Amino acid sequence: MTIRTASRLQTVVLVIANILGVLAFAWPFVLPYATGASRDRFDAPLILIGLLVCIGTLLFVELGRGGMGPKTVALIGVLGAAMVALRLPGFVAGFSAMFIVVLVAGNAFGPTFGFLLGAVGTFASGLFIGGLGPWLPFQMVAVGWVGMGAGLLPKRSWGVRIGTLAAYGFVTGYLFGMVMNLWEWPFFTSGSAFAWDPAGGAATNLNHYLAFYMTTSFVWDTFRAIGNLVLVVVLGRPLLGALDRAARRMRLELTTV
Amino acid sequence: MNIHPAAWIAWATCAGIVAFSTTNPFYLALVIAIAWFVYAACHVPGPTARSFRVFLIAGLAAMAIRTALVFFGTVDANNVAFAAMEGMRLATILVVFGTFNAVTDPFGVVRMAPRRFHEPALAAALALSIAPRTIASAQRVREAQTLRGLRTTGLRSLPALAIPILETGMEDAVTLAESMDARGHGHGTRSRYRPQPWNRRSILCTGAALTAAGAFSAAAFTGVGGLHPSTFPLLWPEVSAGLLAAAGLLAVPGLSRSRGAP
Amino acid sequence: MSDPALRFDHVTFTYPEGARPALADVDLQIAEGAFVLAVGPTGAGKSTFLRSTNGLVPQFTGGRFRGRVHVAGRDTTEHPPRALADVVAFVPQDASASFVLDRVEDELAYGMENLGVAPAHMRRRVEEMLDLLDIEPLRTRSVRTLSGGEQQRVAIAAALTAGPRILVLDEPTSQLDPQGAEDVIAALQRLVHDHGATVLVAEHRLDRVAGAVDVALGFDRGSVRMGDPAEVIRRLAIGPPVARLGRLVGWDPVPLTVRDARALAQTLPMRIVADAPAAGETRISVRGLSAEHDGVPALRRIDLRIGGGEIVALMGRNGAGKTTLLRSIVGVHRPSAGDVLVDGRAPQPGVDVGLCPQEPESILFADTVADEVRSTLQARELPDDPDTILIELGIDDLASRHPRDLSAGQRLLVAAAAIAAARAPVLLLDEPTRGIDPDAKERLTRFLRSHAADGGVAVFATHDVELAAAVATRVVMLAGGEVIADGDPATVLGDSRVFAPQMTRVFGPGWLTPEQVAEAMA
Repeated sequence: MTIRTASRLQTVVLVIANILGVLAFAWPFVLPYATGASRDRFDAPLILIGLLVCIGTLLFVELGRGGMGPKTVALIGVLGAAMVALRLPGFVAGFSAMFIVVLVAGNAFGPTFGFLLGAVGTFASGLFIGGLGPWLPFQMVAVGWVGMGAGLLPKRSWGVRIGTLAAYGFVTGYLFGMVMNLWEWPFFTSGSAFAWDPAGGAATNLNHYLAFYMTTSFVWDTFRAIGNLVLVVVLGRPLLGALDRAARRMRLELTTV
Repeated sequence: MNIHPAAWIAWATCAGIVAFSTTNPFYLALVIAIAWFVYAACHVPGPTARSFRVFLIAGLAAMAIRTALVFFGTVDANNVAFAAMEGMRLATILVVFGTFNAVTDPFGVVRMAPRRFHEPALAAALALSIAPRTIASAQRVREAQTLRGLRTTGLRSLPALAIPILETGMEDAVTLAESMDARGHGHGTRSRYRPQPWNRRSILCTGAALTAAGAFSAAAFTGVGGLHPSTFPLLWPEVSAGLLAAAGLLAVPGLSRSRGAP
Repeated sequence: MSDPALRFDHVTFTYPEGARPALADVDLQIAEGAFVLAVGPTGAGKSTFLRSTNGLVPQFTGGRFRGRVHVAGRDTTEHPPRALADVVAFVPQDASASFVLDRVEDELAYGMENLGVAPAHMRRRVEEMLDLLDIEPLRTRSVRTLSGGEQQRVAIAAALTAGPRILVLDEPTSQLDPQGAEDVIAALQRLVHDHGATVLVAEHRLDRVAGAVDVALGFDRGSVRMGDPAEVIRRLAIGPPVARLGRLVGWDPVPLTVRDARALAQTLPMRIVADAPAAGETRISVRGLSAEHDGVPALRRIDLRIGGGEIVALMGRNGAGKTTLLRSIVGVHRPSAGDVLVDGRAPQPGVDVGLCPQEPESILFADTVADEVRSTLQARELPDDPDTILIELGIDDLASRHPRDLSAGQRLLVAAAAIAAARAPVLLLDEPTRGIDPDAKERLTRFLRSHAADGGVAVFATHDVELAAAVATRVVMLAGGEVIADGDPATVLGDSRVFAPQMTRVFGPGWLTPEQVAEAMA
């Protein structure tokens, strides 16, 4: 069952905001940059920041308009606390136990809740470890997406549910890393073989990016992918069972969002 | 007179913009020095003070990695210099954020969220304050299972550890939600118990930071001031006194301390 | 005559997945300024009733609701709980889980912020509440660092700042030690007597509160009977020891406080305490044990010998070292000096010694009660027969239930079953009767007795004086990490002013339980 945290209009806004978010990450591939060989790429970060400010404002204005309610706030608080607590222990390379929370909660409570939990939990855990860095907005959105996707997976039977969630956890282990690397790639690789080439097309840049990614993050992210898979297989069913019971006990409204 | 958290966010953003806009090592070094100065003058005692050091180390590491990446392509003095300057820019941004983390109190940042953001901010604050409880609960559960003779290591032990923590957490969530509901959460327009005042010092700091960012942005658009020293050929970077002074404005939070007060 | 503070008009309510109504045709009125006690067995409807006064039932919980509830004139089906925050305050059982913010001051202001109260007015109200609940010195403290009693008072203050005249509390003293419980009851009395508040309290621990209230509501399977406290308590066959005594010897009205009982009691000769039966051979040997907790000395050179067949009550203030001692005996806490031997060798946790922790929830993870027990049996390679231990604890009827759906008392019994299933000869329990109902307490007592009769040892840390009086064969008192008293209950408890059971207070040292007194008076 899903938590109805947003009205239809708010869902539309959420979707638009997320599209803009995709743009904010993916602009190196799609935004034509015609001013030639100048190494002065100052405009680019401004576009990035501008897009993110728009997303952030849209999201929170809509959600902040009484869209959450005490039950949702309390649930995100408690589950967010679990994310904060799990950020560091068991931390091996890219693996963070924090993801399992977002995966199961998104799956149990729906995509909107999953996104909110991912964003808020990441923010809180950043605060907790005293690390509010420039990457935080990106990380919030990326983790939010992991949660959101988990809510869209099929739940026909327990086998299907756990199986798809495990596969999803594995794939997003890599996707998350790829997405997080995107924001720094154009600025910090110039002059090397992987550079972002403003004059090149999307295909060239994609190639360069993949090469960059394979060299730097792939191994790191493999830990996360495998870690997610294992945790879902071992803990998925009991955790989802507990969350479903909690949802029943809290008499959360049933809607399909 | 304390600086409003929003002013600190403005400061960090503007300092970030200044750093982002240039790869000139002299400007960047000045910003780093100023960030250090502001940290020393304004940091809040407590666990967050540690962040500055963490970010400083991260910055140095990033700079080193960035420079090392050059070895995947052609290696010559120009490329290395270029990479080093890019790395320094990244390091500067990180150091600025290190200062930001060290001078703000996390609850303060959350508390000053505008009304629209109240619920997500509250959820974040809750996550922060419930986290120690969750960690303590985890330790208790671990020990209790040992006492039962169950194994506490290895994958098989995870359900016995994770489930009680989650179930207890869910029950607490119900209690919390009931309590919030019964105390009027979501009733109507909220007021604020201790509104954070926008005092003179906050305005001064924000104004100074905005001026610095503005100056560097203008320089970037007009192409003056030596923001991007040439590396092909490799030349000694030039600096403009005006831009140095503008960067100096970022030191205002540290300079405006009244005697004895943070 | 002014409007009643609370009015229930033929209210019947069933939870969404409930088989039978939780409230059945409840029809009553509570006047302003009354101090009301809700009593009854677990599951009889007290919690549901409390939550109906502010709209949590049915608006938060869902379910089928018939009838009407009016609180301060407002209909709870027309006003959601948040719209009633200014007339009725609700304080849940677990205060620490209900806190929203970090600092005490901010927590107090939260309710008023929700209602949009002006800052100047808020500051005045916060000051008032700090004084009223006697928590002014705590104003800048983090709520997580407070003691149980302090947390409870902060929760009460936080619920009251929005100005409601009606205060509803769900078992406020269940998690508290005697001192904390005293402070909370005293605060409630002040609110009623000095400030004209209407207070409604649900409680199992009746010793202190029964004598303070004007009216009692007796709950029995969803129906409510309102009346004089003594009458309601007598009819429900529950109550503090003096009430039990009253019922046994036929006093009418049944006394609710020690003072009432003294007025009715005859003098009894001092009871001659028969020599305690010799304990079996020594099973636990504690020698010169010193231990630290968080860097501070918690135990100082403790010497203790406990033999088979003994049931030992470990008592003392919070922080006296009881939990540390239990954890040292079970083998998880390493001593800084001295040692602990169980059956002649170092104890193996879960094998030689079992410990049921303070929060039973922390060990429950299976889907059914029977599976909980099975997991222990499997870990210890014992035959797969969960029913035996469940029968011993009187909870075999719960075998297929989900542990988390049970009441606090039932959970404790399940946890005890899960621990005891390992069949360790030494069984330790840390504050087992905290928050549990009398029925569960009775089953636990019976189990402890049979465990000791089989030659096992039971040691429990507790604040519950009456439990110690009823079941312990020996009482050990700790203070500041040292043993300050060690002997049979009649002597040790009789000597203590703070820890004396009610029978001792009425009849003198040596008299521990109502059953003993009733027998002597016959």
